[in-house]
Amino acid sequence: MNCLQTKGYFSAHLEDTLDNQTLKQFESHIAECASCQKEYDRFQASVKATQQLPEIEPSPDFVPLLWQRISDERTKIIPLWQRLSDLFNIPKWAIGGVLILVLACAGTLFYYDDIFNTEPQPDNRINLTDNISTEKNINTTSDQIRSNIIDQFFPQSFPRNIGGSDMFDTNSNQPMQQQYILKRVSYTTPTLAGGL
Amino acid sequence: MPETDDELMQRFQKGDADAFNCIVRRHQKPLINFIARFTGDRDNAEDLAQDTFIRIFKAANRYKPGRAQFKTWMYFIARNLCKNEIRNRGRRDRYRVDNVITNAQTSNGNEDQIDLIATAPADASFQPEVAIERKELRRATQNAIAELPEKYRFPLILRDIQGFSYEEISKILELPNGTTKSRINRARLMLKDKLKPFMELL
Repeated sequence: MNCLQTKGYFSAHLEDTLDNQTLKQFESHIAECASCQKEYDRFQASVKATQQLPEIEPSPDFVPLLWQRISDERTKIIPLWQRLSDLFNIPKWAIGGVLILVLACAGTLFYYDDIFNTEPQPDNRINLTDNISTEKNINTTSDQIRSNIIDQFFPQSFPRNIGGSDMFDTNSNQPMQQQYILKRVSYTTPTLAGGL
Repeated sequence: MPETDDELMQRFQKGDADAFNCIVRRHQKPLINFIARFTGDRDNAEDLAQDTFIRIFKAANRYKPGRAQFKTWMYFIARNLCKNEIRNRGRRDRYRVDNVITNAQTSNGNEDQIDLIATAPADASFQPEVAIERKELRRATQNAIAELPEKYRFPLILRDIQGFSYEEISKILELPNGTTKSRINRARLMLKDKLKPFMELL
């Protein structure tokens, strides 16, 4: 047994838990090694010093204060999850998990409420081939609606055909999409500043 | 024959508040000592001990007698509270060991003065230097314990101050038995090295 191994057995020897063979090796090393013997003496002394530390007495009002605190805790407003946890004797994380699951289910039902609606829904889709024969018809109808709205809300000076083909200067070098954006800005921005 | 902790807990679970009072009175002193030695702060030790009892009070219905020893469970709770306390406390006042000594003196009616006064008339061979040295050694030992890393401090206090068995310490600290033994031996070796300058006093 070397010095390092001997130090590893200090506590076991002090508490008398070494087996016979290890005990013999330990004691023969200690008997031969003055350094280990000194270390072991100091080890025993420091353990004794720890064990002899004075006990701290509790203050006399420890128990009354404890009951006061318990009383305060009981009158405190306890959150619902805490109450549930105490009532059903289940951990808080389980309650949290159940609540999240319920909220997730409710959210899913709210968002996809038509999933569970089994009644047949009217088909509102426009059948392009039946009702509107050409793209031109769509444009015309759309322009007319816009014009009606503008008549209703804006003065006569407002251009009649916003977004229509006559809005754009065909001789301009700017692409049509850019012209459209510029026109929209010029019509809408002044309203914020005080009218068209 | 006094009732066991399990019997008292069973009574308390049935609504007998006196049983809880008995438990508190039985364990308050060792628990406060354990927390004070660990945190190095006596005043705070009482608060933390009360926190431990409040937790026990609240969780009493969950306690199953026989499944775990009451004392082990109580120290397990206290240990977690101590760890939280150390974590929450700033590095500045982490090792306020002086506080333990100072407060112990004030609350115990100045322990060391009592030592001096009480010993003097009875003991003809009374030596004030010895008493002062004893006080210095106590302070040095407490400082050395407080300076130990947390993982060594817990088992050392539980073993050498609280007197728990290795099995109980293993349960409280959730460690294998072998690890507990080696940590205690390591903690004692570290303590021995820290107390080297005070060897003449030992």
